[in-house]
Amino acid sequence: MDRQPFLMMQNMEKSFNGVPVLKNVTLEVEKGEIHALLGENGAGKSTLMNLLGGVHQPDGGTIHINGQEVKMANPRVSQEHGISFIHQELNMVSDLRVYENMFLGSELRNRMGFLKVEEMCQKTYEVMAKLGVDIDPKEYVRNLATSYKQLIEISKALLHNSTLIIMDEPTTSLAEHEVNRLFELMRNLKKSGVSIIYISHKLKEIKTVCDRFTVLRDGERVKTGAIEEEDIETITRLMVGKSISQDRFIHEHQFGPVSLEVVNLTSSGLFRNIHFALRQGEVLGFTGLSGDGRTELFESLFGYRKKYSGEVRIHSKSVKIDHPRKAVKAGIGLVPKDRKENAIIKDLSVIHNMSLSSMGHFEKSGFIQDRMERKKFQKYKEMLNIKVHNPRITIDKLSGGNQQKVIIAKWLEVGADILIFDNPTQGIDVGAKQEIYHEIAELAKLGKSVIILSSEAPEVLRICHNINVMYQGEITARFSGDEATEEEIMNYATGSKREAAKIG
Amino acid sequence: MANIDAKEYKPQGSTAKSRLSWLWSEYSVIIAFVIIFIASSIMNPRFLDMNNQLNILMQVSIIGIIAMGMTVVMLSGGIDLSVGSVLALAGVISVLALNASGSILVGVFTALLVGSFAGFLNGLMVAKGRIASFIATLGMMAGARSIALYIADGGSVSGEVTGFTAIANSDFWIFDVPVLIFIAMTALVFILMHKTRFGRYVYALGSNEKAALLSAIRVDRIKIGVYTLIGTLVGVAAVIETSRLNSISSSSSGAQYELDAIAAVIIGGTRMTGGRGKIIGTLFGVLILGILNNMMNLMNVSPHLQGFVKGLIIIIAVVFQKRE
Repeated sequence: MDRQPFLMMQNMEKSFNGVPVLKNVTLEVEKGEIHALLGENGAGKSTLMNLLGGVHQPDGGTIHINGQEVKMANPRVSQEHGISFIHQELNMVSDLRVYENMFLGSELRNRMGFLKVEEMCQKTYEVMAKLGVDIDPKEYVRNLATSYKQLIEISKALLHNSTLIIMDEPTTSLAEHEVNRLFELMRNLKKSGVSIIYISHKLKEIKTVCDRFTVLRDGERVKTGAIEEEDIETITRLMVGKSISQDRFIHEHQFGPVSLEVVNLTSSGLFRNIHFALRQGEVLGFTGLSGDGRTELFESLFGYRKKYSGEVRIHSKSVKIDHPRKAVKAGIGLVPKDRKENAIIKDLSVIHNMSLSSMGHFEKSGFIQDRMERKKFQKYKEMLNIKVHNPRITIDKLSGGNQQKVIIAKWLEVGADILIFDNPTQGIDVGAKQEIYHEIAELAKLGKSVIILSSEAPEVLRICHNINVMYQGEITARFSGDEATEEEIMNYATGSKREAAKIG
Repeated sequence: MANIDAKEYKPQGSTAKSRLSWLWSEYSVIIAFVIIFIASSIMNPRFLDMNNQLNILMQVSIIGIIAMGMTVVMLSGGIDLSVGSVLALAGVISVLALNASGSILVGVFTALLVGSFAGFLNGLMVAKGRIASFIATLGMMAGARSIALYIADGGSVSGEVTGFTAIANSDFWIFDVPVLIFIAMTALVFILMHKTRFGRYVYALGSNEKAALLSAIRVDRIKIGVYTLIGTLVGVAAVIETSRLNSISSSSSGAQYELDAIAAVIIGGTRMTGGRGKIIGTLFGVLILGILNNMMNLMNVSPHLQGFVKGLIIIIAVVFQKRE
């Protein structure tokens, strides 16, 4: 072979518990290339990257770097070969300072063995500056917003002079302008000869920043090619194995009477002067950048936060909600964001997660009837197409999409008629996303009132009748779903345009 | 789509090895119990004697009852260090009430009331005061002991009502009554944890408090309930403790009971941070501790060394338990 790619993983094989996860997968990454690794959840992307990162050992296949065969015996070896892995879950120690996190495990010391604090701070500052981030290196990480933590994680990889950086969904917690800065930086890195493997579900991002792509499906490589030769629909089809329409899910129909009315809701520092009304059968979207206060707004509405003023009317009756229990009594359900932290109880079984908020439905004279729970779950399993063989296993063993469906089932069982979905498709693969959109549309058809919070404008555009855009705790614009465009939404979300006069 | 299903389905009975490891992870405490039981019967022939077996049960009943409550507290993600002191306090006050009223019933109810009230206070501090359970119950541990000492003037109080000692010193068929109470309490807590919504909520809260709250569970009430439950069980234990010798010492009764109870729960496989564990596990944890004590007595191990052996066993138990 005269010309070898920078990284070559050939015929990789890996099974867990006798179930093959990777079947003869080959991945080639050139020097100075941004290579997109695509596939649904469970397609084998993470496993493949874990083989490269030395987290798992392959059952077969070889890894070559610069034409030399290497064995990734453990993560340390992988690091020594210049590979950095930026995980989706952030590995930050919140009680340490920024620079301490940056140099964790590779602290700079002088001859006496003491830490060279100022030098580390200086280097941290320089790397951060490249990313356009202005944080005091001595700030404690716990005081920073999630998006900054993500940027620190990325800076850490830069600091180690890596030649290959693996980024697993790095933009999930970043705002639009931060994403742009990250992309700019990635292009700069590319120029300096660094290769990047980029894992993301957001095909639009991939289209803007990546050079080539490899699609995995069910543990096999489906295709490798240049990104500009394919359109998004084709790539999606490759990923899911069937075509997915990008059409709107929601069609206009008659709305019922107003079910939820919010008047002048204010919570200092989080949101202010929030007015809106929601009708039965309506899907109302809220979008904006991170820090726009929409999550806090609806956590208050649901009674998780108590310090707010203003009035909430449900079916034109004024209610004071200061505990989620009261919200449920009033007919509100919340599918929160960050499923792992806020929604699933990982030690409970799938069935028990489903029944948790409506135990009264499964009791006879005070005792839980397992059979009733099982039967009910069977119903939701079919209705929402939840893929699980044995619903007695704990919920954390399911994929993200299936977990989300169980949480939706939980609220359907409660019988809430106002449903709030916060980032409903976070970390969910394309196929399951479609199913969840479809389910939301169905709920609206049945006359439920639905609220969607999402940082992704295309998402609210696809599934909402009406869209509110928030900026720094205020609703800055209101659109009808079929009039709005992504550009318009972005203008208001970034605060470059305001329409306060129209709101009222 | 068949492949996606296959990913989530992990066959567990495919090989003898994986079946064995599953068995070990689920029931390691029972296997450990069987091993210790067999080893004990080989090491000392007197161990298997029926009287000795019943004696072990009798000796573990008080700690066993407390350990049941401790399991619930630890499943909820908390801990209760005050059980020993509250036992002494409930014992002292109940004996005074017994003597004053001359009624056994009043004595028993006083013990339950004092226990559950102390537990309720613990719960209030943890749930409403947002004080870490370790700190709140540490305070209760010191406070309850001090009040017991003050009331009894640092000494012991003895019952003056005939018939009170019958509670702990009579038997029914072959079992001593405390053993039967222990079994009944175990069954009660088991049903509570696995057949009622209270139990479900405790597991949920211990596993993920925020998600439990967002699932519209009244987390505060459940916490108060959990500590009140263990307080009540401590009251039950106090009745047995007092009735057995017809007296209770304000200074030494219940000393270090919290350690034995927590040890039993840990040996039984309950996770320190909550959300995972089994009542049955604790039952066997209690029995393992009982057998060890019994064996050390039978083999004339110095009482000063018994704590060392116990400590060793706790650490070994935790090391061998399956980690996540």
